[in-house]
Amino acid sequence: MAAAGAGGGGRTYSFKVVLLGEGCVGKTSLVLRYCENKFNDKHITTLQASFLTKKLNITGKRVNLAIWDTAGQERFHALGPIYYRDSNGAILVYDITDEDSFQKVKNWVKELRKMLGNEICLCIVGNKIDLDKDRHVSVEEAESYAESVGAKHYHTSAKLNKGIEELFLDLCKRMMETAQAEERVKGNGASQSASSRRGVQIVDDEPQATPAGGCCSSG
Amino acid sequence: MSQRTERRGIHVDQSDLLCKKGCGYYGNAAWQGLCSKCWREEYQRVRQKQIQDDWALAEKLQREEEAAYASSQGVQSHSQSTPPQQPPGHTSLGPFSKFEEKKTNEKTRKVTTVKKFFSPSSRSASKKETQEGKSPSPSISRHASFDTDQVSRDFVDFLKNLQKTGREIHKQCRAFIMNMSSKKDLSAEELSECVQDFYQSMADRLMSHFKGSSDSVEQVMDQVEKYIMTRLYKSVFCPETTDDEKKDLATQDRIRALHWVTIQMLCVSMDEEIPEVSENVDKAITDIIEMDSKRVPRDKLACITRCSKHIFSAIRITKNEPASADDFLPALIYIVLKANPPRLQSNIQYITRFCNPSRLMTGEDGYYFTNLCCAAAFIEKLDAQSLNLSPEEFERYMSGQASPRFSSSEGDWPHSGHGVTATNPVLAQLNHNLELLSGLSSRQETLMESARSLQADLLSWPDTVQREVNDILEKYPLEVRSCTVSAIDANNMDNDNLPPPLTPQVFAG
Ligand SMILES: Nc1nc2c(ncn2[C@@H]2O[C@H](COP(=O)(O)OP(=O)(O)O)[C@@H](O)[C@H]2O)c(=O)[nH]1
Ligand SMILES: [Mg+2]
Ligand SMILES: [Zn+2]
Repeated sequence: MAAAGAGGGGRTYSFKVVLLGEGCVGKTSLVLRYCENKFNDKHITTLQASFLTKKLNITGKRVNLAIWDTAGQERFHALGPIYYRDSNGAILVYDITDEDSFQKVKNWVKELRKMLGNEICLCIVGNKIDLDKDRHVSVEEAESYAESVGAKHYHTSAKLNKGIEELFLDLCKRMMETAQAEERVKGNGASQSASSRRGVQIVDDEPQATPAGGCCSSG
Repeated sequence: MSQRTERRGIHVDQSDLLCKKGCGYYGNAAWQGLCSKCWREEYQRVRQKQIQDDWALAEKLQREEEAAYASSQGVQSHSQSTPPQQPPGHTSLGPFSKFEEKKTNEKTRKVTTVKKFFSPSSRSASKKETQEGKSPSPSISRHASFDTDQVSRDFVDFLKNLQKTGREIHKQCRAFIMNMSSKKDLSAEELSECVQDFYQSMADRLMSHFKGSSDSVEQVMDQVEKYIMTRLYKSVFCPETTDDEKKDLATQDRIRALHWVTIQMLCVSMDEEIPEVSENVDKAITDIIEMDSKRVPRDKLACITRCSKHIFSAIRITKNEPASADDFLPALIYIVLKANPPRLQSNIQYITRFCNPSRLMTGEDGYYFTNLCCAAAFIEKLDAQSLNLSPEEFERYMSGQASPRFSSSEGDWPHSGHGVTATNPVLAQLNHNLELLSGLSSRQETLMESARSLQADLLSWPDTVQREVNDILEKYPLEVRSCTVSAIDANNMDNDNLPPPLTPQVFAG
């Protein structure tokens, strides 16, 4: 469901965004930089960095952003669909010094498009641009790939706090557009069918007609 | 479980096996000693009674409400007042009148995706199987109805603050529950859809009522969920129409079979040697087990959240940095394996089907719940690769032929504990005790040794003494010299009538 509780007017948008990518590419660092403005800091106040939220105000509209970190270990890869279901956006992170991690991003894109279609806003993020001298994924290749799959590409450094604010702001704007478009479609095509089946009815016929079966054990 | 097997061996009198109603058929402990037919009658009777009680209560509450509104709104609203003895479930023409009709077509994509992932491969749980082991006793349902009453009262109290809207909400909820009770034959998915549709239309109505304040909407929706699900719990938790129970048992067995999985195999960053960490681990286990005892989906979610927070604390203490998902998921899997929470699949399904979706989707609770779903899925699919083991090793552990804890150090067991202590506090304690014991036994050995040498010493002592005495006697034999006269005698030479001096007698020693 795109944007739970979202809508036009003065309403609040709630978006779920998942972080995907190989271990050690900097997913946790990115989100901690964004929400706490800290990097490799032993004095981080938050108890956990796996679920973080951020409240934004974009062109007068309130947005609640929930950022879901995912376990990046290979053995948890199959659990991806449970994590990214109902996401409004996905941030796919790779390390610019690690070609393999870019390959992993490509795999994620394929899977997400297959499972969720175009409802999800995809961001491909090349992190650690402070290590540009060790770059192993070329800017051109990454950007043209992103364009070819309808994703947007961002260059970030969690260490130097570069490109992160832009990444999240841009993503939120795109998710708002998607939600508004969905809202419009819904407004036009709202159907009243099937409502009768669930209409409020008074139960005055014999309830004993339905055998209870004695199945539902109580706690 | 072990108790049940033990009980099987006990001889039972034939008459104890018959139905308590005396109908001649066999009874069953799961049906309180009744046969299935008598049980169904009894259950039906109690249920009927409960439905009547619910009605009576609902009417009573309605009257109380009316009275409360009448006194609070007094003169101003006489034109709006509804007849106090309205037929139950009647839909008024107030602002909520088109409530159920407003059907949103976005519906339940949110729930269905989860459902799909966990959807059963075979939907053919036979009824007989499903009924076994379940004992919804009439007395329990009576007891539960007391809690239900309390929940109803709280709900009315809460809604009083919302005045007319509150009354409308209450009416809608009651009507919905009555409506649901006539839908016993629906599948779990259909029941879920009904409830989700109700949430959706209620939330939409509230949204326009509160002019978009989602916090207020959430607040009311929480109460609505609590009220509705407390009432529906018994009929929609692990329903007969699903194979939820079968999956529960499968998961339970699976977790039992995986008892050998160590914290290292899962790469969990929690060091249970630290007392504070192991305390948090214990609390996390307690919380996840407690989930099963709650009836409202949101209360179940709260248990998962508490469990997760304890895991985070344990990780934070161990690593001294905030836990990322890479740390959290393995730790949660470990906790689930250790806790083997009762009816895990049923609880996951119940929450998925009947929780207020906005909470499940973007909220913090939803994140932890999702991780629990991941943990359950991981455990179900877990293989050698997921634990970095060779397939052979995995097989041997699964079949019980070997155990990772001792296989490396057979024979030398009392001293082999050091590598393992991090694994398991019980094992660590055991090893510690074994070390103490072996220390004790070696000290006792030494003691016995000295005792034995003492005894030997004691035994040989008289001999030694004897020998020494003899030696001395030999060295210095007693010579009896025929001594002439003593000086005294010399002085009394003339005194002849004195007795002769005593002659020394030698006694052989
Ligand atoms: N130089 C540099 N190092 C980074 C950057 N972001 C993350 N790292 C380092 O990369 C490692 C892995 O980061 P982490 O956030 O844990 O990655 P995750 O496994 O994807 O969550 C850590 O040692 C970080 O300090 C960056 O922008 N520049
Ligand atoms: Mg991480
Ligand atoms: Zn009988």
